[in-house]
Amino acid sequence: MTALADRPDDTRATADKPAEPSRPPREQDPRNPNHRLSALLDPDSIELVSADDRSGMLAATGTVHGTPVVAFCSDATVMGGAMGADGCRVVVDAYERALDDGVPIIGLWHSGGARLAEGVLSLHSVGQIFEIMTRASGRIPQLSVVLGPAAGGAAYGPALTDIVILGPEGRVFVTGPDVVRSVTGEDVDMLRLGGPEPHGRRSGVVHVVSSTEREALDRARHLGSLLGSQGEIDPAGITDVDLGANLPESAKRAYDVHPIVTDLLDDDTGLELHPKWAPNITTTLGRFGGRTVGVIANNPLRLGGCLDSTSAEKAARFVRMCDAFGVPLVVVVDVPGYLPGVGQEWDGVVRRGAKLLHAFAEATVPRVTLVTRKAYGGAYIAMNSRALGATRVVAWPTAEVAVMGAVAAVRILHRRKLAEVAPELRPQVEAELAEEHEQIAGGVDRAMELGVVDEVAQPDATRSALASAIAEAPARRGGHGNIPL
Amino acid sequence: MAELVSAEMVANVHSVVVSVGDHVESGAMLLVLESMKMEIPVLSEVSGLVSEIRVGAGDVVQEGDVLMVIG
Repeated sequence: MTALADRPDDTRATADKPAEPSRPPREQDPRNPNHRLSALLDPDSIELVSADDRSGMLAATGTVHGTPVVAFCSDATVMGGAMGADGCRVVVDAYERALDDGVPIIGLWHSGGARLAEGVLSLHSVGQIFEIMTRASGRIPQLSVVLGPAAGGAAYGPALTDIVILGPEGRVFVTGPDVVRSVTGEDVDMLRLGGPEPHGRRSGVVHVVSSTEREALDRARHLGSLLGSQGEIDPAGITDVDLGANLPESAKRAYDVHPIVTDLLDDDTGLELHPKWAPNITTTLGRFGGRTVGVIANNPLRLGGCLDSTSAEKAARFVRMCDAFGVPLVVVVDVPGYLPGVGQEWDGVVRRGAKLLHAFAEATVPRVTLVTRKAYGGAYIAMNSRALGATRVVAWPTAEVAVMGAVAAVRILHRRKLAEVAPELRPQVEAELAEEHEQIAGGVDRAMELGVVDEVAQPDATRSALASAIAEAPARRGGHGNIPL
Repeated sequence: MAELVSAEMVANVHSVVVSVGDHVESGAMLLVLESMKMEIPVLSEVSGLVSEIRVGAGDVVQEGDVLMVIG
């Protein structure tokens, strides 16, 4: 087997910057882990818990917005942050500390991978990091911020954690451009191989892309506070706003769901994960009545809001993460169905879609569903339906819960009858049949009778309805890890 | 650089909202597709001039088909 990564010096030399600039002394080097950890943690809260030596890693305790955390950082001033036995020990010790204290751990990564000079020992040591990350999975929140190259072992470190944030210079890949070129002949630089575009949009490896290192650290601070200090929901403190104002007049018209999610959450608290990957579903962490919640919402603007294999997988991982940390879920449903197509079937929409069913059915956190416009077919079941164990299902008065849209249904049910009608009269007959069909099979009333919708709420009373449902539910937490699905 | 606007999914072209030569801002609606019984607006990801329109109302487009060129 070849080494996990290019030698660190090689990967640096093939960066989008052709030549490595001359470096300032370590004290002033912006890559100095002391500077980076200080920039991450609240002022004066930092306490080093490892020696500031040439191990290649530095660890500290401190706070982010007052929330205690453990943090560690690659030392990119030593061999490009390459990881040997000593550096890996620092990370494992930091994890033991975070597990003992029950606090989030934040890793800042800038590393070419394993130290080749240490041979198999370095691989073994990197493997020990993977082991403890997996052991900690679902027990303490794990955040990663990739600030430079993170190659080979340094790529799989962040990948095993709950949330990966990428800084502008962050590059994540298993094998660097040189190895790719020598094996496959593909000419690619680090940016195109593992930068913000491929990982933010195509691979799903990265949850949050940031335009500056400062912003990347601020996002980690925000997420550390959200997951580490979740707070209590206060239904009395909830102000209602008209969430329905964000819907277009025509029920057929697609719209962007983001304003609904923003208005649902407390002001300026939301942070969307994976905004550009599988954008037909949105996954957002934020505060609701002061408490941390996770919001999952179909986005009709993209792919009509259909579920597909990628979006089901994205949502499933988010559900499992929230469940593992006891973060209640709000599921905003406006879904026409699963995306049809050969590509989807061959892409494993059955296997990958099953992950979402499994994730919801397994989740024990309070999870409330809001049907805004429509919930059709198999996708209705998947979006935290009553059958999967939703804590409460709330629907707006005009919402439709059905196997399919009423017009599509009558076209199948009344195919013969419609064929006999003159073409110019057909739309009118379809509409009449559809109305009749809706009354017996579709609308909210029927769903209430069946017990699959618990409550009809007006759009301007929805925040308080959802908040009460979450507050009344017992606070539970799933007893499982968060495998990166 | 020219920006290609392509279809995200199989759809019918419901209506084309802009004309060749129009200046559009990022986020502006370019055309509306119809798929899954929904009218789905396609928004511009860039600001620039509409230099080419390759589809018209009623056309069927496949995933990945170029609908328009901006800039």
